[in-house]
Amino acid sequence: MTLNLCVLTPNRSVWNSEVNGIILPTNNGQIGVLPNHAPTATAVDIGILRIRLNDQWLTMALMGGFARIGNNAITILVNEAERGSDIDPQEAQKTLEIAEANLRKAEGKRQVIEANLALRRARTRVEASNTIS
Amino acid sequence: MAMSALRREGRRLTSIVSPNPINLLRASVVSSEEQTSLGVRYISTQIVRNRMKSVKNIQKITKAMKMVAASKLRQVQSKTENSRGLWQPFTALLGDSPSVDVKKNVIITISSDKGLCGGINTTSVKVSRALRKMNDGPDCETKYIILGEKAKLQLIRDSKMDIDLCISELQKNPLNYTQVSALADDILKNVQFDALRIVFNKFSSVVSFLPTVSTVLSPQIIERESEAGGSLGELDSYEIEGGETKSEILQNLAEFQFSCVMFNAVLENACSEQGARMSAMDSSSRNAGEMLDRLTLTYNRTRQASITTELIEIISGASALEG
Repeated sequence: MTLNLCVLTPNRSVWNSEVNGIILPTNNGQIGVLPNHAPTATAVDIGILRIRLNDQWLTMALMGGFARIGNNAITILVNEAERGSDIDPQEAQKTLEIAEANLRKAEGKRQVIEANLALRRARTRVEASNTIS
Repeated sequence: MAMSALRREGRRLTSIVSPNPINLLRASVVSSEEQTSLGVRYISTQIVRNRMKSVKNIQKITKAMKMVAASKLRQVQSKTENSRGLWQPFTALLGDSPSVDVKKNVIITISSDKGLCGGINTTSVKVSRALRKMNDGPDCETKYIILGEKAKLQLIRDSKMDIDLCISELQKNPLNYTQVSALADDILKNVQFDALRIVFNKFSSVVSFLPTVSTVLSPQIIERESEAGGSLGELDSYEIEGGETKSEILQNLAEFQFSCVMFNAVLENACSEQGARMSAMDSSSRNAGEMLDRLTLTYNRTRQASITTELIEIISGASALEG
């Protein structure tokens, strides 16, 4: 029994094949999805998607969106998604530092919120590139 | 058709070429305007030559425009195909039901900014007008949001009161999702709606562009329909997680759906615009080529006629001297 996973972004399709299970980061925490899950529609937060494929876990950084879990078919629509293996660790670390500096400099409510979001995105990318297990 | 054009040119020639000493010098080049009982006219070869030159220039320009449109089409086409998969899950979950009864309709017409692209803008405007007529009722109101200059020019004439928002110069920078989602955000903030209908030209192939309407329902209508059963009844069977209340998630979902559908619609319309421009410029260069052929024939005929006239004059003069 396998799940058919489909990860789509506005610019391209990032993943479209079968997996054994996933761990999805939602607004209320992480949920694990195994075959024969109940039909669910949830919002996906900025975080790491873990994909279980043949006893191996792969990571993907997601930047917020929606997920629909149907009859053993999961469709995830996000603003941007990157595979952990595709992210360059040093570049991700540098982006994180730049985001932290921006947050310290930010003034005004709107800039603070935007800087926070950028920071979370950068942190997610760093985590995704590090944890490859 | 060519003969009437030549006749028109000839008429202009008589008003300019009045018995003037300068023209007598050009007699060898310019055959004078003659009108025999048969109605055959001779036209200056110079005029025909000028016309040939201008038609040839036009042909070059339209050929170049076709190639430019082809290259732009290639660029946008790959983006469009990638974005097509994006709105399909939404349709699977929320359904695309254009026949839902709503009070406030907002029609978003997507068109191009530049012209010379065939009839796609007119079809979009026709479809929008038809939609409006269909949805007109006792307490239903319809508003327009227009993207692109061409539709604005057409719709401003008769529906000026109903236009809410006009956006142009969408393609100044290459289209990307961030720009379109900011635009969608703007629209959602400023416009009250129950259902949004996006009218655009779907790019099915390089020669065929189908006018399409995508419907996005507002979250309240979605809830109402899903509880009532029917096409959206399946939505109720899904557990909604990830937020405080179901309506909050549904609202986020509807907004996300709107920006994705909008992104796809704008890309498809851009593709259709380039494809239509390619075919319009192609037929235009072909027409210019045909016109050039006809003018060449006329030119040769005129040239030969003037040579024949000269020969006749010389020979008759010579034979008069002899005999």
